[in-house]
Amino acid sequence: MSSMPLIEARGLTKKFRQAVKEPGLVGSLKHFFTRQYRDKMAVDHIDLSVEAGESVAYLGPNGAGKSTTIKMLTGILVPTEGSLIVDGLVPYEKRQQNARNIGVVFGQRTTLWWDIPVIESFNLARDMYEIPVKRYKQNLAEFTELLGLAEFMNVPAGKVSLGQRMRADLCMALLHDPKMLYLDEPTIGLDIAVKDSIRKFIRRLVDERGTTVMLTTHDLGDIEDICNRIVIIDSGRIIHDGDLGALKDNYARDRVIHFQLARPPESMAAICAGLPACETTSDDGLRLSVRFDRFQYAAGEIAAAVMPHVEVIDFHIDEPEVEDLIRKVYLGQLSLTAPESTAEATESAVATGA
Amino acid sequence: MAARLRRARWLVYIYFRCLGQQMKAILAYEADFVILMISAALVQITGFLFIWTIFQRIPDINGWTFWQVVMMYSLVFITEGVGSLFFEGTWRVSRLIYNGNFDQYLLRPVSPIVQVLAGAVGFNGLGNIITGGMLMAISLGNVQVQWTPGRLLMLVILIVSAATIRVAINLGTAASAFWIKTPWSLVPFFVHQLGEFAKYPITIYSLAVQAMVVVAIPFAFVSFFPTAYLFNMEAWSAIGLLTPLVAVYCLFMAVTIFRIGLRRYESTGH
Repeated sequence: MSSMPLIEARGLTKKFRQAVKEPGLVGSLKHFFTRQYRDKMAVDHIDLSVEAGESVAYLGPNGAGKSTTIKMLTGILVPTEGSLIVDGLVPYEKRQQNARNIGVVFGQRTTLWWDIPVIESFNLARDMYEIPVKRYKQNLAEFTELLGLAEFMNVPAGKVSLGQRMRADLCMALLHDPKMLYLDEPTIGLDIAVKDSIRKFIRRLVDERGTTVMLTTHDLGDIEDICNRIVIIDSGRIIHDGDLGALKDNYARDRVIHFQLARPPESMAAICAGLPACETTSDDGLRLSVRFDRFQYAAGEIAAAVMPHVEVIDFHIDEPEVEDLIRKVYLGQLSLTAPESTAEATESAVATGA
Repeated sequence: MAARLRRARWLVYIYFRCLGQQMKAILAYEADFVILMISAALVQITGFLFIWTIFQRIPDINGWTFWQVVMMYSLVFITEGVGSLFFEGTWRVSRLIYNGNFDQYLLRPVSPIVQVLAGAVGFNGLGNIITGGMLMAISLGNVQVQWTPGRLLMLVILIVSAATIRVAINLGTAASAFWIKTPWSLVPFFVHQLGEFAKYPITIYSLAVQAMVVVAIPFAFVSFFPTAYLFNMEAWSAIGLLTPLVAVYCLFMAVTIFRIGLRRYESTGH
């Protein structure tokens, strides 16, 4: 058992049947008689294995299949096809047993009871998960301190702020010492201070307790602070799986070097001619930017090619931002499955300028 | 076996723990609680006045006297009250499924059905139980019955079975929300309305209606057959003894339907 990954998914697929319906009452009536449906592939044959102790960022644009995957992993949804084992169990078959091994936090929803004081929700969790009293007290004391829960412990969940609720939800998800923690947009809508404390808390959990974390987010701060592995899903398929450094190395091939010029260049065409396969732009005449593939050129070569034509006062190089990187992946500007084509894409977009 | 029994006892404990928390939350709004109770009682008393008026004009309905019909009424009220007070959660299911909040029931190591049943408290049920209890006591006082310990025990069994049948029907029909994805599935309400038939002797209805309330959705076992047994009403009385079996059957069906529905759950919303 110990040699098996904590999560092992093979060909995991979820199809939803969607009604094909025209708008309005007439459309609804028509649908009632014709009963047309089409299948939507929310998750399309993905393979994923996660080892114990990993912290995985599960990314993708809205509707890519992130939440659907998480819901299959937690046992909420029954997969249409494929195999899935989490900690030796098939989640949807042994849902209640699986629930004891996992903690789940949905940023958009609470697992706390809305009308009763937060502490009562914790006590209910203690009974439902049959947490030994001693362990419960230890955990509660520790989380109360780390997450600063004391001030609203006796307030009903419906009356605390979003940041407080999220912190309480985290505590709720962790009281029973789950091996696996799923976080679906855990920092959505929170202010920077709360985000920061939540990230630190989760990172600490990974480091000190060895909790395995899988999180979906649109906030790249979450990834950089918490995760050591990035899985990107788009249209139900996994298009990247690797660590953050690899993502930068493999796919952030583009660099942009900006030159500040003393006077406008005499001939943009001449500069461009010296830099085939680069995108050269000059906005107001005194600034010149060259986008290049760093596997093709060294920054020095670019500078050397530009210098003879213009008088450079200053220059700097843009490092790729993770955010930028992932945005491009989402937009389909970077084809992660076939990195070679990236260069071609850049080539064909060779710039104008002159 | 022992382990299963322990598990069942634990589930009952969890059920009451959850229900207790719901009660605490509601009791925080005392005024609501009192108004709900009184309004429920008023609705039922109005119904009672209605049949009382009818019986002022006619001596009996198909051989059933006023006090016998009152007994049926009381069973309808009491089971309705038990459904609301202890199992109001069944009425929240369609909403939970519609907005995806049902997810949280599936993330806990407790049967989702137990969580559904303990999902809410309807204090209006207390009004129904009190009114129904009073009507039952008056009815029993006005009808000649030979009371033996066996019959008394049977009365208790019949009340429990009748309540079980009603709650099972609520649960089974609530599961329709797994198929019909609207915020308020009308199926449970529609079926619940059929329960109105249980207030009068089924002999007054057409064969189709009788078949429906006896076989399809056995509301007749909530009031008619138990009353027939208690008051030794001709041919129907023996069927009343089947009530506990019907209750077990209904519960089994409801749980089965719910489980089948659960596999279809699509967790809509975010």
